[in-house]
Amino acid sequence: MRSVTLGITLLDCASPNLDLLCRKVKEKVRSRADGLVSVCRRISSRYGIPIVNCRIAVSPIAAVAAGHGVQGFVEVARALDQAAAEVGVDFIGGYTALVHKGMSRSDRALIESLPEALSITTHVCASVNAASSHAGINMEAVALLGHIIKQLAERTADRDGFGCAKLVVFANIPEDNPFMAGAYLGLGEPETVVNIGVSGPGVVKRAVERLRDACPDTTLADIAEEIKNTAFRVTRVGELIGREVAEELGVAFGIVDLSLAPTPQVGDSVGEILQAMGVAEIGGPGTTAALALLNDAVKKGGAFASSSVGGLSGAFIPVCEDACLANAASRGTLGVEKLEAMTSVCSVGLDMVPVPGDTTPEALAALMADELAIGVVNRKTTACRLIPVPGKKAGEVVSFGGLFGESAILDLRSGTADAFVRLGGRIPAPLVSLNN
Amino acid sequence: MAEWVVTVMSADRVGIVAAVSGALARLGGSITNLSQTVLRGYFTIILTVSLPPEVSPDDIRAAVSAAGAEGEFEVGVKPYQLRASSSACATGAERFILTARGQDRPGVIYRISSYLATRGVNIEDFYAYSTGDGQFVMILEVAIPKEWDLSQIQLDIEDHGREVGFVAHLQHENIFRATNELDAVARPRQRVQDKEVAKN
Repeated sequence: MRSVTLGITLLDCASPNLDLLCRKVKEKVRSRADGLVSVCRRISSRYGIPIVNCRIAVSPIAAVAAGHGVQGFVEVARALDQAAAEVGVDFIGGYTALVHKGMSRSDRALIESLPEALSITTHVCASVNAASSHAGINMEAVALLGHIIKQLAERTADRDGFGCAKLVVFANIPEDNPFMAGAYLGLGEPETVVNIGVSGPGVVKRAVERLRDACPDTTLADIAEEIKNTAFRVTRVGELIGREVAEELGVAFGIVDLSLAPTPQVGDSVGEILQAMGVAEIGGPGTTAALALLNDAVKKGGAFASSSVGGLSGAFIPVCEDACLANAASRGTLGVEKLEAMTSVCSVGLDMVPVPGDTTPEALAALMADELAIGVVNRKTTACRLIPVPGKKAGEVVSFGGLFGESAILDLRSGTADAFVRLGGRIPAPLVSLNN
Repeated sequence: MAEWVVTVMSADRVGIVAAVSGALARLGGSITNLSQTVLRGYFTIILTVSLPPEVSPDDIRAAVSAAGAEGEFEVGVKPYQLRASSSACATGAERFILTARGQDRPGVIYRISSYLATRGVNIEDFYAYSTGDGQFVMILEVAIPKEWDLSQIQLDIEDHGREVGFVAHLQHENIFRATNELDAVARPRQRVQDKEVAKN
């Protein structure tokens, strides 16, 4: 079990008095999440299945604290950080603005507060939905975020720009995603809700290896079937535990997100699954096709296991967090272009991708726009967690420690799109949006 | 009516259940629970049966034995007594599935079962067999008292298994069901089942 994420509505904490708002936020998080960690510990011990992380996702703070300006948002971030520490969760997500079609003054203030808010807090995670299949891509927001990410990296330069690992820029952000840093509680969600992130790259890899060892004439269809079966079982365990946690906490059960989320540990890698399927070099020919098979089989197994599947529910390819992908990046077989292609057939996007510290805000924005375009046109979620590592160049290694892992910094193609980014405005919604 | 536990062991052939149940029916009995299996050509059955109070254990033994050929059935009879410790739920224990697999060697079952005994873990169902290639497979349904920290028991069992060259896993019954049955994971169904178990 990767993550039990408790969603808590904070919309009723809104107040013109900033102090009162912050107190209400802390009080509500405390009161709703007080038992979360102990309940997870109890259920984990009952079943002998470790729950790696307990987390909280809240309503988009741009709406909760609308009208309070940049410094007001920073204070709210501080309040969230304290509340998270008090209830014992490692991350609280929802420092979020939804700006896919346009930015309100408060949305802009939240975005402008990000460099300070994420550098002075430990537990707060932020996300911005800058594009959707229905609205297109808000290039004004994307261009602004290019600058914000640079500032955030500079402010956390002593930790190699780690602040950027806590900010996700989305197209088609899911409202019930339990995985950080992108989790927030959507406006259409219940008052409080438990969402579960199961994860099992290691389990899937071993299943594929066992099958190939046992049956020398295994075909790709057999592998897809085996992955479906494994995803079914993993999803079932997630739902069982999620429902028990929800029942003990007395809140609604939301969804199981059956994404394969790797960790830097060897044996817990999406890249290794592709290798087990016979793709020798991650990033080389065959990578995208193997990943497409994996992602699809995971979804099919999960969909059959439960009617409560949601979130992202696919394979994640966060470069730093997956030792196999990080190695491929170091060897130069995996580049940003191949990653982009891979994200068109799997979950998330350019995730935990370290780029050279001298990457310009415009280049960051253009790269994000490329990734968001894949999501917008294909009616799927894509996202970016780009980390311009201050003072470091392509090929140098950056290490964030723990679950965030390490990787060589990826090189970016030369050539600028500065003029394109500066045009601003909105890339219109694609034809696929007109489906009513 | 009085309730009895009856066991029969015999070389397997067609018609043993019919012979045994026919003998009990002729005594006026009603079979209440039954478990039967055939192990490498040998038949065994354990059942509980309600009989009129005047039927003695010797009557039961004689009638069942006479249902087979001379000396064919080994018959055991005991009065049935409900023991509080016989139900996992009654003692506040939870059911788990223990599976182990490895190269066959003497003493493996002793190793695992003696460990379970020291922890007060009751074995409620046990099935073990050798595969053609010298591997030995064990599947046990066990009731683990709630006071134990499950992760410790899991580590112990994996460790005991490893020391005799076995891969052993312990899984809560709910996890086993959720991952092996097609029915959706739904709390209401579980509550109904829990109630039924508690009633029994």
